[in-house]
Amino acid sequence: MEIKRYLTRRIIQILVSFFVILTVLFLLFRLAPGDPVSRMIDPSMSPEDAEHLIAQLGLREPIWRQYLVYVKNFFTGDFGYSFHYGRPVLKVIWEKLPNTLLLFTSSIILSALVGIFLGKIAAWNKGKPLDSWMTIGALVTHTVFLPWLALILIWVFAYKLGWFPITGIISEEIWLDPDAGALAKALDVGHHMVLPMATLFCIHFGSYLLIMRSSMLETLKEDYILTARAKGLRESVIRDRHAAPNAALPVVTSVGLSLAFSINGGALTETVFTWPGIGRELVFAVSQNDYPLAQASFLLIALVVLAANLVVDILYAYLDPRIRY
Amino acid sequence: MGGEKMKGDKEIRHRPHWFEQFLEGWSVFWQNPLGKIGVTLLGIFALMAFSSFIPPLVNPMYHPMTGVDPEIYSSVGPSARHWLGTDFMGRDIFSQLLAGARIAFMVGVSAAFMSIFLGTAFGMIAGYMGGFVDTLLMRLADVIMVLPTLLVVLILASLFGQLNIWTIVLIIALFRWPGVSRVIRSQALTLKQRPFIEAARVAGASHIRIIFRHIMPNVLPLAFLYMTFRVTAAIIIEAALAFLGFGDPGTVSWGMMLQWVWKTGHMFKALYWLLPPGICISLITLSFYMIGRAMDEVLDPRLRREETAR
Amino acid sequence: MALLEVEDLSIGYRTRLGLHRAVEGVSFSLEEGKSLGFVGESGCGKTTVGMSLMGLLPRNGEVLRGRVLFEGRDILSISEEELRLLRWKKISMIFQAAMNALNPVKKVADQISEAILAHSSSVPKAEASRQVEGLFQLVGVPKERMRDYPHQYSGGMKQRAVIAMALACKPRLIIADEPTTALDVIVQAQILEETRLLQEQLGISIIFISHDISIVADVCHDIGIMYAGELVEYGSREEVFDSPAHPYTRALLSSFPTLTGNREMLKPIPGEPPNLVDPPKGCRFRERCQEASHECSLISPAWTELFPRHKVRCIRFERKKGPQ
Repeated sequence: MEIKRYLTRRIIQILVSFFVILTVLFLLFRLAPGDPVSRMIDPSMSPEDAEHLIAQLGLREPIWRQYLVYVKNFFTGDFGYSFHYGRPVLKVIWEKLPNTLLLFTSSIILSALVGIFLGKIAAWNKGKPLDSWMTIGALVTHTVFLPWLALILIWVFAYKLGWFPITGIISEEIWLDPDAGALAKALDVGHHMVLPMATLFCIHFGSYLLIMRSSMLETLKEDYILTARAKGLRESVIRDRHAAPNAALPVVTSVGLSLAFSINGGALTETVFTWPGIGRELVFAVSQNDYPLAQASFLLIALVVLAANLVVDILYAYLDPRIRY
Repeated sequence: MGGEKMKGDKEIRHRPHWFEQFLEGWSVFWQNPLGKIGVTLLGIFALMAFSSFIPPLVNPMYHPMTGVDPEIYSSVGPSARHWLGTDFMGRDIFSQLLAGARIAFMVGVSAAFMSIFLGTAFGMIAGYMGGFVDTLLMRLADVIMVLPTLLVVLILASLFGQLNIWTIVLIIALFRWPGVSRVIRSQALTLKQRPFIEAARVAGASHIRIIFRHIMPNVLPLAFLYMTFRVTAAIIIEAALAFLGFGDPGTVSWGMMLQWVWKTGHMFKALYWLLPPGICISLITLSFYMIGRAMDEVLDPRLRREETAR
Repeated sequence: MALLEVEDLSIGYRTRLGLHRAVEGVSFSLEEGKSLGFVGESGCGKTTVGMSLMGLLPRNGEVLRGRVLFEGRDILSISEEELRLLRWKKISMIFQAAMNALNPVKKVADQISEAILAHSSSVPKAEASRQVEGLFQLVGVPKERMRDYPHQYSGGMKQRAVIAMALACKPRLIIADEPTTALDVIVQAQILEETRLLQEQLGISIIFISHDISIVADVCHDIGIMYAGELVEYGSREEVFDSPAHPYTRALLSSFPTLTGNREMLKPIPGEPPNLVDPPKGCRFRERCQEASHECSLISPAWTELFPRHKVRCIRFERKKGPQ
C-alpha cells in the first residue's frame, strides 16, 4: 500500500536525521575548546567516582571508540549524571517530558483549529472589513515578541487581576492535600496552564489564519468549487464541505514546517512561566553549565520535534486521499 | 543629438531585464498599503538607529551601558531629563532603546546577508550540480531546518562560553540558510535548462564559471528579496537569547533590556521600562513581515489584486 | 413554447482596461429534446453564454441586456435563492476540463448523491446511493469504483462520472462546455457517441460548446457559429456543415483535417480576433475575412435568412437577397 511505503520512508529519514544530530552533538561536545572530561564529569565528584564515570563513558579512549560508547549509552538511556541535580539525567528529563508535551500539543492543536476556522471566514469575506481586521489582527499577534507577551500577560492577568498564578504548574496546597481528587488536581494544572497556553496560542494562530486564508482563496478558484455552485448547493456547504477541507491541507503542512519555531517559543514560554518542561530544563542546564543535562535535554527536544513531524505527516496522509490511495 | 541617439539605442537594448522587473516590482510594492506601512515603520527604526549616537554626545550620563546619572541610582519613571525613565542602575532607557535599534539592524542585516550568501551558494551548487551533491546538501538542509535555532545557539553558548554579538550573528546565519537555499535551488534548476547555459557549456566554460557568471546574476534578485524574511528571524533569535541571559553582555539590545527588567524584579513596577523594548521588537518584526507580504505580491504576480473598473 | 429562449443577450466583463464586451446581441431558441452546438475559437464568448444561463458568471461579469427565458421565466431576473433551486435540478453543466470538476477529497459517489440530496429533501441517503448506482451503470462506469476518489479515475472515467453527475437530478437542459477537449481521440469518440445515445434516450436538451465544428456536427441538431462575441451563422447541422455561408464558417471547416474527402491543404485562419474592449465598427470579422469589402467596416450586418432555419450575418448575403 502506498501509505506504508511513504511512512516507512519518512521514519527512515527521521532516524537518519536523528543520528546526524546525535553525531554532530557528540563532535561538538568532544571537540569544542576546553577539556571534554570536565564537561561530562561533575567537578564536585570524588576522584574515584570521577574515574569510574570516565571509564564508563570512555572519555580517555580514541575518539571513534568514544563515539560507539556514546551511541550505546544513548540506547541504554545512560546520559550521565546531572551536575546540578546529582541524579541520572534521564530520570530528570523524563519527568519533565509530559509537562512539555501537554502544553505544547494542546496549544498547537488549539491554534491550528482556531486559525483554520478564522482563516476560512476571513477568506470567505475577502475585501470586507471583517477580513481586513482579521488579517491585521493575525499579523500583529504573530509578530509580538513572545517572552514580552508572556510578561505582559502575567502583568495583566496574574498580577493586576490576580486571576491566574504567576508561575509553575501546580499549587502545592492542592497537590499535597490527601483529600484532593484527580479532578481537582487536573483543574489545578489547567488553571496554571491558561496563561502559558494563551501566550503560545496568540503567537501561533495568526500564521495559521493567514495561511488558511490564502489557501482558501486559491481553492475558491478551483473548478470543483464552480461545480459545487452549479449544483445549487448552499454557500455555507460550499465553503465548509468543499473549500475548507481542501484549503486546510497546506495548513497542516505548515504546522509541520514551523515545529522548530514552535519549540523555540515553547522553551521561552516554559522559562518565563517556570513551567517544568524540558525546554526550560535546557535553558537552565546551559546557564548552570550542566553539560550532561543540557546535551540530553537538547537530544530529547530534537527527538520530540522529529516525532512531531512524523505525526503531522501521518495526519496529512490521513487527510489527503490522494496520498492514502 | 544624432550621435547620442545611436548610443542611446544600444543603451536601451543593454538595460538588464532585472532592472525593468525591479521598477515594475517597486510600483506594485508601493501600491500595497502593507508595503507602505512596513517601510515607514522601518524608516522610523532606522532613524532611531542612526540617532543612537546622539544622546551620549549630549551628555555622558546618557550612555546606554555606562551612563551614570549623578542623582539617580535606581529605576524611576519618565521625566524631562529621562524621557522614558531610568533602569535599575540609573541609566537612561531612551538611549538604550536607540542603541537597541542599532543592534537590531546590525544583527538583522548581517545575519540575513550571511545566510543569504550561504543559502544562495549552496542552493546554486545543489541545483546546478544535481545528483549526489544535490541530495547531500538538501538532506543537510532538511536536518538543519528541523532544529530549533534558538536552542541550538543555546547549546553552542554552553560550549563556547559567553558569546559575543558577532559569533551570535554567525551562528544564526549558519542555521538559517536552508530556507533560502531551497528557493534558489529551484530557480537554478529551471535556469539550468535554459539555452544560454547550454551554450556556455558547449563553449567550454567550467562549471564554476557557469555558476558564478551566468546563474548567479539571475538568481541574486530573488535572493535579495528573500532577505526580508531572514532579517526578522535573526532579530528575534538575538532578542530571545539576550532575554534568556545569553546575549553579549557588552551590547545593549532590546532583548537585553527585557532581561534586565525581568531579572531585576522590576517587571511589575516599571511599565515604562517593560513596554518600550517589547513594543520595539514586535513592531520591527511587524514591519519586516509587512514588507515581506508586499514582496510576495511582487514575487508572485498572481497575488496582485485585480482592479476592476467599476 | 421552446424550452429555452435567449433574446438579445449581451454580457461584459469589467477589467482594468475597460469593459470587455464578451457577448453581443446573441439570440437563439432551443426546443425540448433537441441539441444545439456553439462553435467558435477561444474567447468568442461561447463559454460566457453557457455560464450566464446558469447564473455562474464570475464576479466581474455583468449581463448588459437581454432576456433568458427558461420554461417561460426570465432567469436573469430571479433571486439568487430561486436560481440556486433551479441549478442542477433543471439545468446542469458539464465543465471544460472536467479533470478538476470533482472535489479531490470527496468520494465520487458522495459528490453525486450530494447533488441529488440537495434538491430533494425527502430522499433518504440509501435511495440516493441507489440512484447513483443507476447513473454509473447508465454511463458505463463499473459500480465498484463508486467509492473511489477522483484521482483514481482515468480521464475517460472522470468524464463519464461528470456526465453521470450532470444527469443526477434529471435536468431538462445540460450545458456541455468542451467536455471532450482533454481526452484522447478514441475516448472522445466514445463519449460523444454515448452522449448522443443518452440524449436520445432521455430526451434531454443539450447545449454543446466546442471549438471543434466536426464534434458539434456529430452530436447536435442545430449549430450556431460565434465570432468575437457575436452569433454569425445559425442553422441545422446539415445546413451549416454542408452549405456553410459565413466566410468564418467556411474558414473553420477548411482548417480542420478530415479522414474522408479530397486531400486538401489545411488553411489556418490568419490574424487574431479583435479587441473586445474597444470593438471595431461594422463586421467584427472583417479584418480576417478574405472577401471583405469597404462596406464591411461601416455597418454591422443584419441577419439574412437563407432557408427557413439557416440564417447568416454577412453583408454579401444581405446584398444578394436584398433587404429583409
